[in-house]
Amino acid sequence: MNELFSKEKWKYAFYTVSHPMDAYYEIRHRGRGSVPVAIVLVVLFSLSFSINRISASFIVNDLSPLAVNALTELFSVLLMYLLFCVGNWSITCLMEGEGRLKDIAIAAGYALTPMIVCFNVGTLFSQYVTLDEGGFYYMIIAFGVAYSLVMALMGIMQVHNYTLGKTLVTIFLTFIAMLIIIFVVLLFVDLITQVYSFFYSIYQELIFRI
Amino acid sequence: MKKIKRFAALLMAAAVMTLGVGECVHAEELPYDTYTYTYWEDIAITPAAYVPNGSASGLSVGTTDFAEPQDLCVAPDGLVYVADTKNNRIVVLGADMTTLVRVIDGFDRDGSADTFNAPYGVCVSENNQLYVADSNNKRIVVLTPQGEFLKIIDNPQSEILEEGFDFVPLKVTVDYADRVYVIAKNAFEGILVFESTGDFTGYFGTIDVKITLWEKFWRRLASKEERSKQLLFIPTEFTGIDIDSDGFVYASNIDSEGVQGVRRLNPRGEDVIQKGENENLGGDLIVGMYGTYAGPSEFTDVVYRGRGIYSLLDRKRGRIFTYDKEGNLLYIFGGLGSQEGTFNTPVAIEAVGDMIIVLDAYSGTILKFSETEYGALINDAVGLRYDGDETEAIAKWQGVLKLNENNELANSGIGKAYLTAGDNKTAMKYLKLAMNRKYYSIAWRRYRNELMAKSIGPAFTVIGIVIILALLYKKIIKNKLAKRKGGLAG
Repeated sequence: MNELFSKEKWKYAFYTVSHPMDAYYEIRHRGRGSVPVAIVLVVLFSLSFSINRISASFIVNDLSPLAVNALTELFSVLLMYLLFCVGNWSITCLMEGEGRLKDIAIAAGYALTPMIVCFNVGTLFSQYVTLDEGGFYYMIIAFGVAYSLVMALMGIMQVHNYTLGKTLVTIFLTFIAMLIIIFVVLLFVDLITQVYSFFYSIYQELIFRI
Repeated sequence: MKKIKRFAALLMAAAVMTLGVGECVHAEELPYDTYTYTYWEDIAITPAAYVPNGSASGLSVGTTDFAEPQDLCVAPDGLVYVADTKNNRIVVLGADMTTLVRVIDGFDRDGSADTFNAPYGVCVSENNQLYVADSNNKRIVVLTPQGEFLKIIDNPQSEILEEGFDFVPLKVTVDYADRVYVIAKNAFEGILVFESTGDFTGYFGTIDVKITLWEKFWRRLASKEERSKQLLFIPTEFTGIDIDSDGFVYASNIDSEGVQGVRRLNPRGEDVIQKGENENLGGDLIVGMYGTYAGPSEFTDVVYRGRGIYSLLDRKRGRIFTYDKEGNLLYIFGGLGSQEGTFNTPVAIEAVGDMIIVLDAYSGTILKFSETEYGALINDAVGLRYDGDETEAIAKWQGVLKLNENNELANSGIGKAYLTAGDNKTAMKYLKLAMNRKYYSIAWRRYRNELMAKSIGPAFTVIGIVIILALLYKKIIKNKLAKRKGGLAG
């Protein structure tokens, strides 16, 4: 937990933004990253995403504020993060990736930093723009998303010591793995419910007869 | 004695008050809700725009009951013409629909008596001629309003008509030049147009068939045999027709996707209707997917009510949708049922002055709806906007807001007025409530410029002072340092 408050770790997250290749190498091989910091970044990302959706000026925002629930969004973002890490880990384990689960979690979490910054800047900027200048707002958001995607790509590449082509293939496979995990979990939940309801009906039957 | 008197007076007052309250409640007890859709496409219940105001039937005006009447028309002189289809006659009612003016059940055609056979549609032209779509006789009969024979339009001849085309006219309307527009059975190509001489000139306002890419793909894969067994892609038929004072034809149709249930056709037959913000002219936005009332609204008739306002009659749920010229949804009211003021099989809609009248084929009655204060305010405000008199409209919109402060059109109208008046900040408030992005943006840009113009002087002063202070500070420090150095040196 001390890592959370260490200034050095936080500074390193920003160093990763400016020097992704070097920084991800050091995260893998010299332990410069931190999983708690990565998770905090994910939470921050989810919050800035929700804040952007709720309070970006209505000139650029076509969402009903009532349709946004920050809490559900937080949980779904965390769930997707977990799924991505586990999915990527299970694929790269089979494909000679060098990264540990810890490294993948850090790589994915740190990659969200540009989006956190750009979403908040965009939200503030949207209060200022008119309809004609809306393009600048969308540019800020698009820049953040693109930067984050590139960072995530570099992170996965460096952590596993892959080539670019192999990284793209593994990321594609990761999404398939995520789908399979979701499928299996749903199947499992369904079976458990059926077993539960079976025993519950036996219980009810007994209760009514005795 | 005095005490008893006072007590009695109190009782009376209490009784009057309760009665008053009772009446208030009664006014709210309509057999239907009046509502509209908000920007977010949620249903918003509003005060009633129109309330039931009695009905008229064949019996009530002193003749036999209507039998499945299919159309009605209001003549320029205010008389109401009813196509009493199963009784093979046209019934003419007085403007207030309580008196019978005349019954036309036949006419004298060059010396021989002739009758109607299931007249489906009726229309009185601006030149005061009565057009009857005499369906089973396959002709349009033109009479004087008194029922004297003028001419017959039948048997259209043209190479664009397919071989053996059976001309069964259902609805008819006439423009200022006496051109006749006819909706005929199985005429999928559009509305048939006849010149005033009775010559068929062609189809008008054809609705394009929509084939999705997916359907095209499957058709490509299918063999010829399979293709012949598939459903034909047939455009939807028009259901109702009306004409405005400029000669533009309003025609309703049934859109299975619920996107556009009405068209405004210019003299060349092109659709020039304006759609609102949500690009929808299809009636209800929220519809069930299963059950009796599943699917989008099915418009069976349209009436142009003047000043750009038109109403559509939905036969599926018995609702009346009113739009303005810009395609904004004004209000929705009406419903199916057996209570007074509800329909069973609504078939035709017309406007008589401030009233809307709807013909119910099943019960053979004409239902009258009179506008409330709320409906009148909206109609007037929209009408004034149509006339270009936005400032006059403001008072009306403010009246609307007093009755329903969430009315987006009213907020928008008031916001635009403030914008014109130069009060940008207040305009922003109203335009945001109206979810009017375009005008809000204009108001905000002007307000921003105002703010900047106001603050640019002080801002520069502050910056200047800061710079001067910084320079002075630097100098002082430098001097001090120099002194210290000098001191050290010395």
